[in-house]
Amino acid sequence: MIRFEQVGKRYPNGHVGLHELSFRVRRGEFLFVTGHSGAGKSTLLRLLLAMERPTSGKLLLAGQDLGQITNAQIPFLRRQIGVVFQNHQLLFDRSVFDNVALPLQILGLSKADIGTRVGSALERVSLSDKAEQFPGDLSTGQQQRVGIARAIVHQPALLLADEPTGNLDPRLAAEIMGVFEDINKLGTSVLIASHDLALIARMRHRMLTLQRGRLIGDGEAV
Amino acid sequence: MSATRIPPPQPAQRVGAAPKKPTPAAPTPDGPDLRSQLRAWLEAHRASLSDSLRRLARQPVGSFFTCLVMAVALSLPMGLALLLDNVERLGGSWQRAAQISVFLTLETSDSQGQALREQIAGLDDVAEAEWISREQALQAFQQESGLGQALRELPENPLPGVVLVTPAEVDKATLEALRQRLAELPGVEQAQLDLLWVERLTAILKLGDRFVFGLTLLLVLALLLVIGNTIRLHIENRRTEIEVIKLVGGTDSYVRRPFLYMGALYGLGAGLLAWLVLAYGLNWLNDAVVRLAGLYGSDFALGGVPLGDGFSLVLGAVLLGYIGAWLAVARHLSELAPR
Repeated sequence: MIRFEQVGKRYPNGHVGLHELSFRVRRGEFLFVTGHSGAGKSTLLRLLLAMERPTSGKLLLAGQDLGQITNAQIPFLRRQIGVVFQNHQLLFDRSVFDNVALPLQILGLSKADIGTRVGSALERVSLSDKAEQFPGDLSTGQQQRVGIARAIVHQPALLLADEPTGNLDPRLAAEIMGVFEDINKLGTSVLIASHDLALIARMRHRMLTLQRGRLIGDGEAV
Repeated sequence: MSATRIPPPQPAQRVGAAPKKPTPAAPTPDGPDLRSQLRAWLEAHRASLSDSLRRLARQPVGSFFTCLVMAVALSLPMGLALLLDNVERLGGSWQRAAQISVFLTLETSDSQGQALREQIAGLDDVAEAEWISREQALQAFQQESGLGQALRELPENPLPGVVLVTPAEVDKATLEALRQRLAELPGVEQAQLDLLWVERLTAILKLGDRFVFGLTLLLVLALLLVIGNTIRLHIENRRTEIEVIKLVGGTDSYVRRPFLYMGALYGLGAGLLAWLVLAYGLNWLNDAVVRLAGLYGSDFALGGVPLGDGFSLVLGAVLLGYIGAWLAVARHLSELAPR
């Protein structure tokens, strides 16, 4: 599903974000990308979201070359990806329902469809009773779950998460990871960038380790 | 944590099964029919419109003043154009100043003069022709000049019969051609035209037209800048929202849409306000104009804003708002890539 072939990313200022990275991700796989700050985790996610383009090598997502994708095609690519951020990226002037409904409104679904799907997504993250509240009224963990509901509401084939438990206490972090596992069991590929090694070790999934933009480890987390 | 499962996505919705060229994810497993697509499209527009209205209503004072600034900019050229129209209407009565006096030879009799008047009145470029006999001319001269006694002592009437010709068009070239034609008629001694008035009137109207055109261009530019700057501020305030929308698959047109509605709404408000300002302003000015015209024995009054012009004003303002917003979003959209 994802194929990195000697992918490199060099920024205009000379900084190398990724250095000849090669790996594959199967459909329905759950994997972590770990490494210290500046290792290249975020760059990797940004490449997958087509926020940036590789400067060398070939990056394929579902057979589509992200180095060649046109700007007009990018929104349609992103509609097939769900993304969860460490800082949630919620819209605080919209209700929880409206935040979660955003990807569906962009898809142009009817009100009835949006209502049903948002209801299901909120139920999956145990926030059905918060639909009418605003993100500012919720705890950090709840805000993160709203972000997850928004990422999965349109049933993406790939879910990307950038440090999704970075601001959460261990109990909440484990809870959020449980949600990701549930989603993965439904067939969605999940790729999580995290440096929480203890948490990753508990999950026992494949882990890619990056160091200064190079892949230095690929195997099951222990 | 309890998790209620919803059916997994269908293969057609998955990235892995997508064709090489990405297409929008199918909203329903069977794919939407044309009717539901149309309904969704209308719903998206309705949502953008109501969202823009809500945002404007949230800042009533700011929105009102933006509309007012635009309205003032719109009403200036429109007001001048309307005043110019009124001057042109008034010019109808100024046509008398462009009358051609056709002096006949002293030998021409009254009946010949009357016949000539009828012949002149039948010409295409002539609106009206009036016969003044030698006697009438003398009488009028005696009354108006104050030389009545002196004139009575003359052995015979020195004044010729005159046909006063009011031309159909106040245009220098047409008038000159008509004057020459009249001068060549049998029994005509001289045809005289006071072209200075006509030239002045034409020049004033042309200058007015050009001034209004230039002012309109400048103020249209100013309007685009005002609306562009206003929309830019709205874009800045919604930067995070736009970034999120782009990250979850919003196209440029999806991002642009609410701002276009906002620009059009500003234009609508400005157009209606400008119409109101013009209607009230012309009405207020009219009292003074009627009094002044009355002093000159005229019943001239300013016309209001014609309905067609009013609607054109509103439509033009909506279009300007839309275009201004489009330019502003187009300029800033590339800066709004998710970070």
